[in-house]
Amino acid sequence: MGASMSISSLFGKLFGSKEVRILMLGLDAAGKTTILYKLKLNQTMTTIPTVGFNVETFTYKNIKFNMWDVGGQDKIRPLWRHYYSGTQGLVFVVDSSDHARIKEARTELHRILNDLEMSDCLLLVFANKQDIQGAMDIKTITKELELSKLEKRPWFVQPAIAIQGEGLTEGFGWLSDNIKNMAKK
Amino acid sequence: MATGQHGLASLRRTSSVANYTNSAGPRHRRSFSTIPPSRSNEMLQTARPTRSPQPPAGMASEMDRTSDISAKGMTASTGVSSQHSSLSANAQPRNDAAVRGPRRLRSQYPRGSSEQHVEYILVASFDIDRGPVMEHQYPVAITGDEHMLAELMLPDQAHVRNQDWTIFFLHKDTSQEEDDAERRAKQERRARRNRKRDRAKGIIHESDDEDEEGGALDDDDWDDDVSTDSEPEGGEGPPLVYVLNLVNTKQDKTVKRGAVVKAMAICTRHPFLHIYKPLLLLALEEYFKSPVPETLAMLYNAVNEMDLSLMPKLSHLERHLLQASDNKDLFVEKFEQMIQARIAEEAGREDVLQPFDASNEPLKRPSIFRSGSRAHIEGHAAYVVPRDTHEFESKVMYKGIPIPIKVPVAVMPEIVGDFSLIKLIQNFSDPHTKSPQAFPLHPHLTTNGPNTHPIIVLINALLTQKRVIFLGHNMPSGEVAEAVLAACALASGGILRGFTRYAFPYTDLTKIDDLLKVPGFIAGVTNPTFEHHPEWWDLLCDLPTGKMKISSKIEAAPITEGLVYFQQQNPAYANLVHSSSSSGSSSSNNDLTGDAAFMADVLRSIATRAGERVIRAKWRAWVLKFTRIAAAFEESVYGTSALYIGSDEQEAHLAGAHGHGYVWVDEATKAKELAGNVTRIEGWRNTRSYYSFIQDVAQLYTIRPLKGLDLAHLHDRLRAQRLTPAQSKEIYDTLAKYVRSYDEICLLLSVAPESQAGLFYIALGLFHKDRDVRFKTAELLERIAEHEAGQHWWRALSRFEKLAYVRIKREAEAEVKAKLEKEERDGFSPVERRIS
Repeated sequence: MGASMSISSLFGKLFGSKEVRILMLGLDAAGKTTILYKLKLNQTMTTIPTVGFNVETFTYKNIKFNMWDVGGQDKIRPLWRHYYSGTQGLVFVVDSSDHARIKEARTELHRILNDLEMSDCLLLVFANKQDIQGAMDIKTITKELELSKLEKRPWFVQPAIAIQGEGLTEGFGWLSDNIKNMAKK
Repeated sequence: MATGQHGLASLRRTSSVANYTNSAGPRHRRSFSTIPPSRSNEMLQTARPTRSPQPPAGMASEMDRTSDISAKGMTASTGVSSQHSSLSANAQPRNDAAVRGPRRLRSQYPRGSSEQHVEYILVASFDIDRGPVMEHQYPVAITGDEHMLAELMLPDQAHVRNQDWTIFFLHKDTSQEEDDAERRAKQERRARRNRKRDRAKGIIHESDDEDEEGGALDDDDWDDDVSTDSEPEGGEGPPLVYVLNLVNTKQDKTVKRGAVVKAMAICTRHPFLHIYKPLLLLALEEYFKSPVPETLAMLYNAVNEMDLSLMPKLSHLERHLLQASDNKDLFVEKFEQMIQARIAEEAGREDVLQPFDASNEPLKRPSIFRSGSRAHIEGHAAYVVPRDTHEFESKVMYKGIPIPIKVPVAVMPEIVGDFSLIKLIQNFSDPHTKSPQAFPLHPHLTTNGPNTHPIIVLINALLTQKRVIFLGHNMPSGEVAEAVLAACALASGGILRGFTRYAFPYTDLTKIDDLLKVPGFIAGVTNPTFEHHPEWWDLLCDLPTGKMKISSKIEAAPITEGLVYFQQQNPAYANLVHSSSSSGSSSSNNDLTGDAAFMADVLRSIATRAGERVIRAKWRAWVLKFTRIAAAFEESVYGTSALYIGSDEQEAHLAGAHGHGYVWVDEATKAKELAGNVTRIEGWRNTRSYYSFIQDVAQLYTIRPLKGLDLAHLHDRLRAQRLTPAQSKEIYDTLAKYVRSYDEICLLLSVAPESQAGLFYIALGLFHKDRDVRFKTAELLERIAEHEAGQHWWRALSRFEKLAYVRIKREAEAEVKAKLEKEERDGFSPVERRIS
């Protein structure tokens, strides 16, 4: 407790107590809200398009995640930038079966990561909807999203089937390990 | 045609007089009706200085007035109005009537006015591919950014609620053409009225014969009478368009991604937009069934057919009285008068129709009943007077269903929609009481040190034009909007302006760039990301936790000249001023501003279940006091203040009355209270509300009765100071001498609100040791008791004071009688002395 006290008092003013702020973005209908509520409630909910945003707090591996899920329609994507400040981790959700829009997803992802306020944050990509026939595998997704271009930033691609909850714990396991590493630094 | 109309008009006037005694029930009889025969004598002796813009038209009106007063004794409360009617029936010059009695009653929303209740109906939906889109607009497309409107109509997180309300304002200009047409029409009406007036005085215009009678005859009823009655418009551009919006989310398995989100909005220029809530609920439901423009048209027509023409228009002072009063009968006479006029008008119309259909049986006169009375419920009443005069009751027919609607009668500036000050105050007081949280100091905001009550921090922030955000995460956006509207009302008190125009009751991230261009705003949001951007706001009010946060990035308050002057002038109190340099610890312990005591009083009232109106009246008093203290501060520091007008005129005009401005017990108390207020007053100067207040003061001055006499000051001296008998005599004499006409009495009532002491301090004059003061006070009280509003104040007077009044009246009568008998013995006829 003693060691983390100094950190919390340092960050306390900005983030509140020991909370980690995670921002979840992605094109519309990628499965963001489904992931959020699967994690929060361990329930599969039928979601409807998000008007604006959802935000939930849950604890995983002793870390309190404050996770933001922001609506993905292209008209409202310019609002994403307002959620950047103080974000420690970006969860980018991709519909692996949507071949037509993977390039659009790449453009959006790089636009986010190029923002100054996002320069220090971790990147977790969920290659969602792996259960659908013809879904791209993680290798293809990595290539399509041009993740190799990212230099210093820790990133990780996790295959997932959000409605069944598959892959989610693995993804967040990676995230919490790396957040602990960041804190140690 | 023209002559027929004329006959009708005069018939209406006379019949309204005739009907009067019938309608005035025993309710209106005042408790004591002693008729003083000595009155008319005295009236003629007192030379009455001219204080009104329109001087009385000589002796004739003076006589008329005295005769009216003797008639007034018969029908106590209705006398005032019949006095007026008799004037117009006698074809007296119109302006004369305006000086004496309440003006001829007009409707606030006359029939046939070109102004619509509702200007637009909009429907938007959330398209799963495109986000918010506008679907339909009726009757025409509203100008401006359609997409932005659609975004506002679909608040954040609409998808997690079945239903949500929002409110937002549009700064829409009236189009150039509309403006010009309106202005031309106004000029024409005014010119016509002037010609009429001139003709009455015997001045003939060459152009007189043109379209005089041909034009719309009732035009005169339209209110644009700037010279007599209109309140200042705030001078900041066209009135806002208020938008009430309802959004529904319906789960629907048949559509892509399982839900339909649609919103319908009503755009109106009336600030009481909340009355349309039940209609929007019905209409949006209807729209889900038939999503066509006709559904919008049906709602549009229904709401615009709402008839408010029987709602009387009140003057500025009358509105203030009504707003500050809890009395459900105040000004009920005016509603009755409106109905009488309507009945007479309709009877007149029947008369015109009669010859065409001789077999027609003469219809029974419809009678007036109070709403909720037995007759009303049993359906005998054609017209009803509202149960509570604060609200006018009407209805809207929607698809054959009558929907009851209550419209506020006294519409005050900056009071928009329905909200609860009590709710706002409690929301931020309870957490403060349980676990007080120290604020970082800011001279403008923490006027009582780090433990300043959050509500005081809020009002300080609003007065000094800070950026205030109400955040309600996981709350319906309607609740957030309500808090914003309540905050506007809190800071305005119906007195100050410049809050609603810069309020964004509900906004979201999409508007952030525009919002940040506004210097000083009050915004409601549901998105907690706002909390992470302290650079966007100065004060964040978190509704769910009831905590306020002063931003770490708030701009420091500058050291101003006024502050420095004050400290130089009052070195003894300089250290009490907690400017940014001092720690403020010295002033935090003692409640220099009196705000801690004030908040304790407000919370006590809330705890004892005082109503919303009582709390609003308290805040209004707080705001009024603040403006008066600011005026006193400016006068003492800068030597002059634009926040009060009249001091010069007073010296020139009136003898007897002294002083103006806020009253303190002594100089030390004054210096302390000023010291506590310096920083926020200095922060208030240079804000929008400060400048518009100066404008309003100047404009109200032109329509104010008793210019150059600060009744509030005189009344406060009676209340707060220890006066010698000579000093109090001077004040009582002044009040008795100058407070005579209808408006003058309204003004006096407004400085002695029922919620405070009412007439108590004035009635203390009944116990003055000087006999003359006692008599004059009794006469003043009698005038007040006969006054349409004053009768209620009179009734609230203590029994003790009423008894004193009766005793003094008897004394006076006995004296007059003795005098008359003596004169008779001496051979004078009293009739010559009394004009009747």
